[in-house]
Formats: sequence, structure tokens, C-alpha cells
Amino acid sequence: MKLIQYASLSLAFGLAVFAPIAEARPVSYPGGWTVMQMNNGDMSAAHIHYSPTFKDSIGLYSERNWGEDWHFTGVQYNRLVKRWNTPTSQANLYLKAAAGQADPFGDGADVEAAGFVGVGADWETRRWFVSYEGRAYDLGFDKDARQSARIGVAPYVGDYGDLHTWLMLQVENQPESDTPTTLTPLVRFFYDVQLLEIGYTPESEEFMLNWIVRF
Amino acid sequence: MKTLAIALAATSIAFATPIAGAQEATSAEAATAAQTMVTAKVNGMVCDFCARAVTKVFGKEDAVENVHVDLDNGEIHVTLKPGAEMADDRVETLVKKSGYDLVSIERETA
Repeated sequence: MKLIQYASLSLAFGLAVFAPIAEARPVSYPGGWTVMQMNNGDMSAAHIHYSPTFKDSIGLYSERNWGEDWHFTGVQYNRLVKRWNTPTSQANLYLKAAAGQADPFGDGADVEAAGFVGVGADWETRRWFVSYEGRAYDLGFDKDARQSARIGVAPYVGDYGDLHTWLMLQVENQPESDTPTTLTPLVRFFYDVQLLEIGYTPESEEFMLNWIVRF
Repeated sequence: MKTLAIALAATSIAFATPIAGAQEATSAEAATAAQTMVTAKVNGMVCDFCARAVTKVFGKEDAVENVHVDLDNGEIHVTLKPGAEMADDRVETLVKKSGYDLVSIERETA
């Protein structure tokens, strides 16, 4: 059992070594797998999910919150509640929920049952991007919440298969954090099935590094 | 002379029949080899993940030889295998399964 726990922790840390909040595209196409990993200095997270339909995905989520000093691991379900398709845009409304366990590192406290619920929304054209995500955690020994929003613009519009570049600005609010509200300028590179985001948060002097691979 | 004429006629018929048969076979092969390209105009395709979804979903169909996505025009170009068919309602089902909305379908046979 200890070996499994050790392996799980190692995997989580391995995946989250750099380790988000803005989980772009929480669902995929039917039969599609997505691996995403997010790091912003305050937290590191990894999420792998499988989509049986374009409206659902289920997978594993692991998050190490450096600022609040806890680690959550659990099963996460994402649901595309509604999609609005137009000739030039797409908008989505998502619900997310996860159940698992949380470990308060360094407090000597026991691992407790934990979970979170979240809502996400985005609107996107080939030139503009806007998104919002909010989450509330119940960690057993503590409660946590955070929300973030983004606006982005593509300096050029490429076709399928080209390298796409987005310039984005993210505002994040985490009431429990030492710096509750932060602004993070970031650049997103999107090529084929791979997405990479690199940003920097001046308030906390932390780098952001997120990536997604879909297959 | 009469015998020669009959022999020539018989020879012509003997050779003519296989040639006609060969022409029919060629026409049939040509008809069998005809390929259809289905162009589906859809709403909601704005990024490479969208294009990837469509490519994957259509690509799993036995009738499909190739899928090309034109994000500029919001179109999916599906080349069917020679002789294969795909009904409009199947195209619509696959577009919906990919997460998008079908606007129109056009077909072109080469």
C-alpha cells in the first residue's frame, strides 16, 4: 500500500514538477485522450482524461498547491453543458467535479476525503478568445476557492496545421493566497494537437507553464 | 465470292462481340472507380482541436478515404473511397458527433 502511495506521489510530482487553473478544452472528441499539465508557481497540476462523447470526459486530476500547502488527487468528470456554434465562433459552458483525497503536507494531519466543483465558460473566434473558470474546493481540513478569466487575441490567423500564436492576459483571484489577485500576460502556441502556454506573473514573480497534448 | 463474304461477316461478328464486351467492362470499371467528394459546411469550427475532432470522427468511417478541413470557410471535405457512398443523414450525424452544427452538404463526383 505504501509502495502504491509512494508511486502515486512520485507520479503526481513527476507530472506536476513545474505544475492551473485554466483547463482549456476539458472535453475532446469521442474516443479522444487529453493530457494537460499546468504550473504557475502557486500550484502545479496534471489532468489526463478520456472523452467517450464530445460532451463528457472523465479522468484523473492531481494538484499540488504550493501556496496553501496541500495535495489533491482524485477522479474528475467534465461535462459540456451547452455549446453555441456560429459560422465564425464557438462558445461553451462546462461543469466540472472531482472526488478524491487531499493531503495537508507538513501539518501532520491525516489524508482526508476531498473534492471540488467548478464551472467554466469560453467564447472563441479565430481571432479572439475569452474564458472564465471558477472552482470551490472542500479539502476536509480546509476549504479553498479561486477563479480566473482570460482575454486573448491571435496576431495572425493560420489554417489547420499551421503554428497558431495567441497573446493573452489572465486575471486570477484566489482569496486565500498571499497575493489574492494577479495579472498574468502569457503567450499561447498551438500546433496540431499540442498547446503550450508560457506566462509571467509580476505580482508574485512567478512563471506560468501549461501544456496540452491530445491524441 | 459468296463464301468469302459470309466468312468475313462471321469473322467480324466473332471479333466484334468481345470488343463490345470489353467496352462495357471498361464503362463499369469507370463507374465503380468514380469517387465522391462530400463538402459539409458547418458552424463552430474555429481551431485546430475542432479540425482534429472532425478528422478523427470522419476518418473512422469505412467509406472515407480522406478528410480535409478548411477552417477559413468552415468546410469539411470528405473524399469517399471509390464506389462508396455516405448518406446526408450520416454526414449530419458525424458532424454532430464531432460537436458542430451542419449547415449544408454539397457533393461532387469525379
